[in-house]
Amino acid sequence: MAGIKILEFILIAGVLILIGIPLFSKFPPRRLFAPLDTETEEYKHLLVRKEEVLLAIKEAELDFKIDKISPEDHDIIRHKLEDEVLQLMARIDELEKVLKNKKPASRSVDIA
Amino acid sequence: MNEIGEFALLMALVTALYGIVGYVMAIRQNRVDLYFSADRTPLIVWGCVMVSSIALWKAFFTDDFSVQYVWAYSNRDLDIFYKMSSFWGGQKGSLLFWTLLLTTYMMVVHVQNRKRDLRVVPVAMVVMLVITVFFLCLLNFSTQPFEILPVPPEDGRGLNPLLQNYWMVIHPPTLYLGYVGFTVPFAFAVAALITRNLDDGWIRMTRKWSLISWFFLCMGNLFGAQWAYVELGWGGYWAWDPVENAAFMPLMIATAYLHSVMIQERKDMMKVWNMVLILLTYVMTIFGTFITRSGLIQSVHTFDEATLGYYFLAFLGVIVLFCVGLILRRLPLLKSKNELDSFLSRESSFLFNNLLLLGIAFATFWGTIFPIISEAVRGVKITVGPPFYNQVNVPIGLVLLALIGIGPVIAWRRATWSNLKKNFAKPVLAGVVCGAVLFPIVPLTDKAQVMTYIAFILCAFVMTSILLEFWKGASARKSMHHESMPISFSNLVWKNKRRYGGYIVHIGVVFIFAGIAGSQAYSVDVEKHLKMGETIHLGGYDLTLEKVIWIKSNETKERLIAQLGVVKDGVRIWTGKPEKEFYKGQNQPVSEVDLRSTLVEDLYLILADYRGEQFKQITSKMAHITDGEATIKAHVMPMVAWIWLGGWTIAFGTVIAAWPDRAEARRRLERMKRMEGVFAPAPAQQE
Repeated sequence: MAGIKILEFILIAGVLILIGIPLFSKFPPRRLFAPLDTETEEYKHLLVRKEEVLLAIKEAELDFKIDKISPEDHDIIRHKLEDEVLQLMARIDELEKVLKNKKPASRSVDIA
Repeated sequence: MNEIGEFALLMALVTALYGIVGYVMAIRQNRVDLYFSADRTPLIVWGCVMVSSIALWKAFFTDDFSVQYVWAYSNRDLDIFYKMSSFWGGQKGSLLFWTLLLTTYMMVVHVQNRKRDLRVVPVAMVVMLVITVFFLCLLNFSTQPFEILPVPPEDGRGLNPLLQNYWMVIHPPTLYLGYVGFTVPFAFAVAALITRNLDDGWIRMTRKWSLISWFFLCMGNLFGAQWAYVELGWGGYWAWDPVENAAFMPLMIATAYLHSVMIQERKDMMKVWNMVLILLTYVMTIFGTFITRSGLIQSVHTFDEATLGYYFLAFLGVIVLFCVGLILRRLPLLKSKNELDSFLSRESSFLFNNLLLLGIAFATFWGTIFPIISEAVRGVKITVGPPFYNQVNVPIGLVLLALIGIGPVIAWRRATWSNLKKNFAKPVLAGVVCGAVLFPIVPLTDKAQVMTYIAFILCAFVMTSILLEFWKGASARKSMHHESMPISFSNLVWKNKRRYGGYIVHIGVVFIFAGIAGSQAYSVDVEKHLKMGETIHLGGYDLTLEKVIWIKSNETKERLIAQLGVVKDGVRIWTGKPEKEFYKGQNQPVSEVDLRSTLVEDLYLILADYRGEQFKQITSKMAHITDGEATIKAHVMPMVAWIWLGGWTIAFGTVIAAWPDRAEARRRLERMKRMEGVFAPAPAQQE
């Protein structure tokens, strides 16, 4: 019985130490949870969108080669996607200029 | 060890509560110290639940019958393999097992994402911790697995014989891995809603989790069907039982989600729809748990002491209200700027497939809850049986099957009729040829047989459509890269894992459809009393009762085995040995079917009953019974093995689709570098 109490004590002590250490540690002042910055969010989103559109162009190419889409459809899709990617790239460049001059809002950005 | 197990659960609960408070305060007050402290709780909670689980497993392995749960679900003679699975054989242990999986997922997600988005991940952790707290509250205060009996019995009651089957060792963990796995995309979806990070980042973060959870849910359903087939002895694998339905509904909704997220990723559309689908999938997993543990529905799959209904109902209510409220509040942010390029496109076919899958899920839901509603409102319990589900779901399922073949032929974004006609020609021709070949062979006397005939035609159409996709893709690649056909084929699959892995999954689904169709419409069966030497004729087989043997396996189990010689076309091809097992302390004997399974058909034998008195003792533990008669049920069921083959094909396809993609990782790295260039200089993250 005493052995069990000791094990329970060790468990409590272990948990307290694990969660307690950071509470007594010193951290450099930093902003953990930056408020949502619309430009940063848009920038992140557009980088992913650009990749998706480039992949869609490749896929349309393959679909055309295997005769899944007609030459007319292929031209329409390709032009549309190319326009979209150009617009995205222009907006990304624009946002990069803005963001470079901005104070970093969040250090840990999601790049999923 | 039991006390430690119990104490560890309490510690897990306290730590999880601290984690929630810590994360929330850290987020609200921007407290770095508190954040890093709370950030350790997922690991600690997992550790505590693991300690508790080990303690329970130890109690099973050491036959510690002072623990009420061990006494109720194990005994000394139980195989060690089943002692391990007894852990999840009852209510208390299965809840602990659920919590163990949940905390394991939480721990893995935490480790995987700890250096990622500091807005979404902590909130997702809070959501997962809240769910963990619910389960830990049940384990600590309502259904304690370490309840101690005042006087420890000498032996346990033993595990339900129906659960002493290897499929029952595999089926519940697989299903739970699926059920619990959807907590991850759910938590990230809720976190995205709360933090307003509503681009497709949360979808990308949880894409693999969704796929893996879907896979486990799918395999869990199939393993459960296989268990029912070999263990329950009624000659079927799916009975539209409420608990089966409870596992089937989230599978349908999750399948819809897996398809529709592709549209969001490609076209930045359907944000609300995807949110709704993933939240609904999780709600349905909790609904399934509610059904199993509420005691509202009697089924072979529910738990004996199903008393947790109100808790799960309340939890379900809170989740639904919270999710609906959250989506409504964020609705303006979820609106999409893009729209479909053309009605004739892959996107439209996905939308249609979503509607069909949800249609099946809704019909199944309605059939499941209707008896509960009718009993509550009118006091009359109406049973909704397989005819209802078959009448509604079979036609929808056939349209869905057709869509699996139509989808690959239609291009993303837009297609034209002329191209479609050209691309449809060969698959349609394959369907027509299949129909023409089968027409004189298969009987078409009732609706089920007509449906099956249509299903076979559609299977041929879909298979051709998918195989042509592989062929055309490999041919195009061959001409573009000057590769040999096998290299071109393997590169095609390997460089487009998601797309072609998905097609392989679809091939598995076609196999399952074919197996279900064949076995449902063309099965024949017979039940006959046989004296020694008498024969049954069924489906071209001659089954002769040769002998009946009694065996005492151990102190708690006796077996009665009927030996049947099986002759086909004058040649003895097999010896069937269906049996009945008698377990000490169990009122009803259990049938163990014997099965001869081929891709053409299964011969399925059941010893339903035996009456005889003259024993010829061979050893002290074995005797021949020389008189009396055996009641033998025999089924000949075509193509059942295709269902299981379909399951393994799905598994193979999922592995390919979920395999890490180097190109994607490279793109991600490039994105990261570019973003670092924009956001630099930044202080290094430290703990």
